[in-house]
Amino acid sequence: MSIALDQVTKRYQDQPVVNDVSIEVGEGEFFVLLGPSGSGKSTLLRAIAGLTGIDHGRISLHGRDVTHVRARDRGVGLVFQNYALFRHMTVADNIEFALRVRRMKRADRVARRKELLKLVALEDLDERLPGQLSGGQQQRVAVARALAHKPQVLLLDEPFGALDAKIREELRRTIRSVQRELGITTVLVTHDQEEAFALADTIGVMNHGRLLEVGHPNDLYAQPATRFVATFLGAANLLLARQGADGIRFGATPVTAEGAERVQGGREHEVVAVLRPEEVELAATREQLSSNFIARGAVEEVAFTGALERLRVRLLDEPSAAQLLGTGSSAEARLEVTRTQPERRALPLLAGTQVALGARRLHVLPTPISSFLACAPTESEAEALAREPLLESLSTRMKTRVALRAIDGLAATAAPFAGVAAIAAGDNAASTVEWLLEHGAAEVLVLPRQAPNPTRVYIHWTDEIVRRATLAVSASLLRHVSAEAVYLGIVPEGAQGSGRAAPMRQLLDARSEAQSVHNLEMRTELAIGETVTEITRNLSAGTAQMLVLGITDIRQAGTAYRTLLAAQPGWPVLIVYRPGESRIRPEIAA
Amino acid sequence: MSKGVRREPNVIPGFGITLGFTTFFLCAIVLIPLSALVLKAGGMDFSRFIEVITSPRAVASYRLTFGASMLAAMINMVFGFAIAWTLVRYDFPGRKFIDAIIDMPFALPTAVSGIALTAVFAGNGWIGQYLEPHGIRVAYTWIGITVALTLIGMPFVVRTVQPAIQEVQRDLEDAAETLGAGRFYVFRRIIVPIVLPALLTGFTLAFARAVGEYGSVVFIAGNMPMKTEITPLLIFIKLEEFDYMGAAALGVVMLAISFVMLLAINLLQLWGRRRMMVSR
Repeated sequence: MSIALDQVTKRYQDQPVVNDVSIEVGEGEFFVLLGPSGSGKSTLLRAIAGLTGIDHGRISLHGRDVTHVRARDRGVGLVFQNYALFRHMTVADNIEFALRVRRMKRADRVARRKELLKLVALEDLDERLPGQLSGGQQQRVAVARALAHKPQVLLLDEPFGALDAKIREELRRTIRSVQRELGITTVLVTHDQEEAFALADTIGVMNHGRLLEVGHPNDLYAQPATRFVATFLGAANLLLARQGADGIRFGATPVTAEGAERVQGGREHEVVAVLRPEEVELAATREQLSSNFIARGAVEEVAFTGALERLRVRLLDEPSAAQLLGTGSSAEARLEVTRTQPERRALPLLAGTQVALGARRLHVLPTPISSFLACAPTESEAEALAREPLLESLSTRMKTRVALRAIDGLAATAAPFAGVAAIAAGDNAASTVEWLLEHGAAEVLVLPRQAPNPTRVYIHWTDEIVRRATLAVSASLLRHVSAEAVYLGIVPEGAQGSGRAAPMRQLLDARSEAQSVHNLEMRTELAIGETVTEITRNLSAGTAQMLVLGITDIRQAGTAYRTLLAAQPGWPVLIVYRPGESRIRPEIAA
Repeated sequence: MSKGVRREPNVIPGFGITLGFTTFFLCAIVLIPLSALVLKAGGMDFSRFIEVITSPRAVASYRLTFGASMLAAMINMVFGFAIAWTLVRYDFPGRKFIDAIIDMPFALPTAVSGIALTAVFAGNGWIGQYLEPHGIRVAYTWIGITVALTLIGMPFVVRTVQPAIQEVQRDLEDAAETLGAGRFYVFRRIIVPIVLPALLTGFTLAFARAVGEYGSVVFIAGNMPMKTEITPLLIFIKLEEFDYMGAAALGVVMLAISFVMLLAINLLQLWGRRRMMVSR
């Protein structure tokens, strides 16, 4: 491996900005780190360069552990967004800087400089000053300067950020060809997905300090595992669907979709489906569609953008229709559609026209948290619950919605529970959890009032049967909060021999499954004592802690864990329930 | 197109008016008084003029004035840079407060600083009482004069260098570091060249101010002829003796030396800028 990062963590004022990131970049590979601003990608790049120390983890370059090696001894070349050229030096002096530091002979320096200037197509500008060059030329000089000392690794931090579109494309091509020609392992940081597609052999997507997914551009685009990657890498419409034994359906309409596993038996549950704007088919009537019908809609906006036409379509509220997840309130959500010119000519559309919508290709996200359902005795209390800061921030970050449900007196209910049910913590919480689980809910989030976003999430399960489910839910949760994950293994007091060995083995299994299946780095702690006491002790040890608890027996919530669900002192608790005998849901990566 | 050079419209209108105004002000405030000074001295007999300006007492005062000013400006260049660097690069409690205190010598009547310094450095003062037993006398010696001149010149260096240090982006140091440069190399090859023009300007300002300084020096200097008497004071003494011609003669000499030195520094700076040409 050319670059290997192993569980790298960097904190600023106790907040992890880079959270347990492990990456391997192969020899000569062009790796693009993609993420929004503040996702920690630049910090990670600086850590590789040695300009930022890390709090935890290891960094090695070509098999050499450089975690504690100074930047100037790491042998990397770094290119900055603002070029960072030495403006008081000529182009020649800039490029020769690294060579002068190394006391290279003049003749060799000049030869190397000429070679580099040729490589970046900037011959005969040696004696110019940076201020006399255009932005694109300056960045070429910066690339040449970074390559002068023959670094093993080239790092580029948003190198095209300050350039206009045309120059950007030219420079992009130059960098790609230089990289190919030298075969140098390269890491580029950007927030621009188009840039990532144009350059990358492999893309790694970061958000909130975590590396969410790594893969080839095509795979990540076609089959994202998380909703963040689905929406960040190109445009995407997210739809709520129900998955049952016969496949997935929107409302009453069954559709065939990629990624929708056929599951035998078990309960129907809610899933999130990704529909790319270019995969939407528009037709005048349902019968004229050649693909799966998903809904009828009214065109609201038509914009012409050169090669493509962009439309925004409001879905008509019909029981058979798909439900769209908007980033804001779902009532305002619009389906984004793009059409090519031939499609546009075949069916010209104006704002206000009603159309039938079809999905040519759907991808179901393997996420266990599809949406939230705020449950309270009255509608207004449910509304207040939905405005709880933690629930609001989770639903915003997950780009999902919070539906409301009044469950007065825990009377029987006809409508099934979809998504994660959320209830307020308190004395009745335990019995409400029991009732919800009995009536079909699989996950319940118990929220104390004004709980902050957690910085540490403890994970525990009572039985190995729920391990997979609990880990999947935890991983999905942790992708959306910048918290560290800690698995809490508990050995009963006085356990002997195998009684002690089993929890230890479970702990290691949990850790390796979290890592291999969910790409989630999880710390582990082993406590000896009574379960509830130990959990309480750990939760009380710091502020802003949260618990994910996997159970197999509905009664456990009501009896054993009652104290954890109390309003005071109060921690957010996410209960994951899977009945003992069934293994129904596809708990793949979240 | 007309033959004339088309000027970009500006916020303040009328190139003619503004240029005229500038010239008028420069004349009224700077050139006319200076000319009057030269004319006044010109009213003297030439041999008398030479006698006045080369008297041992006058020559000793030139040496003291310009020597102490030069030394003070150099001290300010080093420590002013350090202060400016600290204020720009580090964030610490009380930073704003220290930043504000830098300007104090600007605002204080110079006589006040002179009295304060004398009180501190006199043989029985706060600091003086510890220095005296070691044979270091500050008050009433050239050292005291240098201290006073350093105090009043400090803000000039700090305030001119601060923006220049802000210009040195962290990225430049980071870039140099990844290219293999050590700290001292980065300082010598990157930071100093970028900050140098501002540093020289600060030096010039501090020096010019020190040469003309009077108020703070007279208290701490002791004003012994031949030893601790600065030229401005000597001029004042001549005026008190109603020797207006002699005062004017000394004034002309100060003017000439100051002009030559400032010109030299400016040329040096121009040459430096040409050489590195930091465009932008």
